[in-house]
Amino acid sequence: MDKILLIPIFAPLVAGFLMFFVPNTMKPLHKLLALAGAVVSFLLAIRIFSSAGVLQYSCSIVQMGDFNLDLLLMTSPLRSFILLFAMGFGFLISIYTLKAGPSGDGSNIFYGSVLLTIGGSAGVLLSEHMLFLLIFWEIVTVSLYLLITTGGSSCSFAATKSFAMIGFSDAAFLLGIGLVWALSGTFVISETGVGTSSAAAIGAFLLLMTAAITKAGALPLHTWLPTSGEHAPASIMAILPASLDKLLGIYLLVVIVSEIFVLESRALSFILALIGSATIIIAVMIAMVQHNVKKLLSYHAISQVGYMILGIATLTPVGIAGGVFHMLNNAIYKCCLFLCGGAVEEATGTAELDELGGLGNKMPFTFVACLIAALSISGVPPFNGFVSKWMVYQGVIRMGSAGGTMSGANLWPVWLTVAMFGSALTLASFVKVIHSIFLSRNPSHKRDIKEVSGLMLVPMGVLAVLCVLFGVFYELPLNLFIYPALDIEAGTAIFGTWDSALATAFILAGLFLGGVVLFVGLVSRKSRTVSTWTCGEIMDNDEIIVSGTHFYKTISEMGGLKQLYKRQEQKWFDLYDQGGLLGLDLSRFLRWLHSGLLPMYLTWVVLGLLIILTVFCTIW
Amino acid sequence: MSEVVQNLFWILVFPGFLFTVGLGLLASWIVRKVSALVQHRVGPPMLQPVYDVIKLLGKETLIPEAGQRATFMFSPLIGFSAVLLLSTMLWRISFVPASPFVGDIIVAIYLMVIPSLALILGSSASASPQASMGTAREMKLVVAYELPLVLAFLVVIIKTAGAVGDGRQLSLAAIAEHAPVLSISGMIAFLSALLCVQAKLGFVPFDIAEAETELASGVLIEYSGALLAMWTLMQGVMLVALPLFLVVAFLGGFGSGAWGILAGAGKYVLVLVLIILIKNTNPRVRIDQAMRFFWFWCGTAAVVAVALAILGNLFSIGWL
Repeated sequence: MDKILLIPIFAPLVAGFLMFFVPNTMKPLHKLLALAGAVVSFLLAIRIFSSAGVLQYSCSIVQMGDFNLDLLLMTSPLRSFILLFAMGFGFLISIYTLKAGPSGDGSNIFYGSVLLTIGGSAGVLLSEHMLFLLIFWEIVTVSLYLLITTGGSSCSFAATKSFAMIGFSDAAFLLGIGLVWALSGTFVISETGVGTSSAAAIGAFLLLMTAAITKAGALPLHTWLPTSGEHAPASIMAILPASLDKLLGIYLLVVIVSEIFVLESRALSFILALIGSATIIIAVMIAMVQHNVKKLLSYHAISQVGYMILGIATLTPVGIAGGVFHMLNNAIYKCCLFLCGGAVEEATGTAELDELGGLGNKMPFTFVACLIAALSISGVPPFNGFVSKWMVYQGVIRMGSAGGTMSGANLWPVWLTVAMFGSALTLASFVKVIHSIFLSRNPSHKRDIKEVSGLMLVPMGVLAVLCVLFGVFYELPLNLFIYPALDIEAGTAIFGTWDSALATAFILAGLFLGGVVLFVGLVSRKSRTVSTWTCGEIMDNDEIIVSGTHFYKTISEMGGLKQLYKRQEQKWFDLYDQGGLLGLDLSRFLRWLHSGLLPMYLTWVVLGLLIILTVFCTIW
Repeated sequence: MSEVVQNLFWILVFPGFLFTVGLGLLASWIVRKVSALVQHRVGPPMLQPVYDVIKLLGKETLIPEAGQRATFMFSPLIGFSAVLLLSTMLWRISFVPASPFVGDIIVAIYLMVIPSLALILGSSASASPQASMGTAREMKLVVAYELPLVLAFLVVIIKTAGAVGDGRQLSLAAIAEHAPVLSISGMIAFLSALLCVQAKLGFVPFDIAEAETELASGVLIEYSGALLAMWTLMQGVMLVALPLFLVVAFLGGFGSGAWGILAGAGKYVLVLVLIILIKNTNPRVRIDQAMRFFWFWCGTAAVVAVALAILGNLFSIGWL
């Protein structure tokens, strides 16, 4: 009975719920309470992580025959490591929101929901009982809805869409849990271990998988992410879709693959690999042509999930470790990127790429943090994103060499090509972001821009440092967090070579040597600052700004791709919109049925009863 | 301690800084000399690239006032050190294949992107409209050739994986023991990769980002003096590293003994001459043509190569 497990869950939940009733005039109290809740959870998460052995807590709530609902909390290396980072992100975001909170009313809802998110996430990560996991999972969904609504009236559509799509996947989750219960007779995760040979088991797997990947934001139920990214404040995107939703979704996927089910059907690993690869390439192609930085980042938040899913789908130790490591790395740099985007929006009042430019001189700290995070997400060595992608690639190659019995394994060249090519496309879209926001030229109406407050810079700085640290000394997080969590013996998984620290030392040595050569040159003749050369013409340079938004027109105008991009703009591939149209048709049909004639209604009722009766009789 | 000294020697003298830079300048002389011969000119003396760098170092360095100063000045250094690392890595595994060093083939492919990335950041930081267009073109070119390059890399992995055994599929030294080029799929992959290297070097027909006659050097337009000298050095080192990568990945590397080293050097020079010939016999293409070429033509050829390689493995036909 380790009661310590209760505090990180229920302290923020209770505080968050109470906060809804604190009036909006007491904004400092909201901030203080949110920060206090986040700090307490983070400190306890550190204690839980550092405590040896398994902590557990159980408390019976309802018991009816086979059905029992126990509050069953338990730690494992996987859980406590994800908990540590989830609470860490909560803590950093609550520092960031001290300065960048909601502008208008609704500060009680905002900070209360932040606390609910933190508590709910802790609950998901510690629950051993699947129904409680679902309850906490729902709390996170609801708080996402509430958080998005605080962004103002333009956000209500985004909030509703997110809630509808995630809510749908949560319904799938509930059904899946029901099926697992029917198959294994228990709700306790560690006691399940369902084999995936029967149709019901495969159905349950697919249902649970839907819940996990929708939360994480993979295709095909991904469209809630860009819609909310466009409207919701950046700090919200940073805490939920960019970091916590990823951690929770991928955590659930790992639990499904390794604990709840015993994967016998290789078709399922094929489905996962297919979803992963499709997510990588499709989302990044769309991201490349976006004009709004937050929307662009949202599409990358989708694309990166593909690497995690692909890694897990390989079912090899190095692939799964790479996928989980990528989850961690992605949460770090994507959170940082959203915070940078938020800082730019805060400082300039816009997130549209073609209205920005030349901020590198005005906001140097934001620029450096954003550059590091952008290089990390693009997988440039020696940053962290490269290491985890590299591990995922190894997983795919190992899956291919392990044998042809798996249906997904034969297609390993496809998965690998898509993953590696997707990484180049990611780089391309971040070159566009860096160019359009920080480099290029400063438009004249954005001259008096100042760097944002230190409270916003600290979280970005911490995350950027983590990007470098986890990249250069990648054995550290692997040995400390990832390998114990997945029960992999250190040093056995990776078969490639990447001596990141040595390479970094060499790059620094090269920088030094180049610097010496450069210094010689600069000393021998002084440098001079001049205005940009315009082929000898004297002209108003300030007005000639080439923004990055047109960069990839060559690609979006290419025959074949052009039509696809157009359809995508028209939301042909958005299951939410298509589902909405289907719903309209359905309601039209129902309206037609409701003719108002009593005999007609009676006929329907009798017919329906007969059908149900037949179904019951054939089954039992 | 001795390991640190040894590593320092590797990076500073041989095969790192001094050796690679010297060889790079020699290679850029070969490029100019052979180009001159193709065009019935005499060509520059052997030390001309050295004179050029020294002269550039003595020139005034101009820095655009609207640009991002730090990025503008650091980019050439970053690109230079990354390609220096790549070259050191490739030489080292060619001479000491027994011990793995720094990275595997995936690392090499990723390191090869950094020079282009540095060029992109540097030109983007110079706040010139022409440079911005160059930035966009360079990036699109990277995106374009990365697809056939990845596919060509797949062919290498497929052709060599079975022979080098599990756990060493990615090792550059293990791959260098095999010559995938001696098969149909390997040959196609080698040719695709050769064209990608051509684009990476920014040589005609893919000098779209610099395009002297339309963008006035595009990405490099604002660079002068010592900073331009750094770019020149970087391009020299790339002339060493990128053909060497092709030699290691496709042509069987250096082997052992004096003859092996001589043969390796011969392979390197042949690849270099191939690149120079392509450079001198083609006109510059537009960026959309280049993208279409790499994605549709080169890409399709590389896909065929991958398919052939897989078939060859399945039915154990070595020459496929």
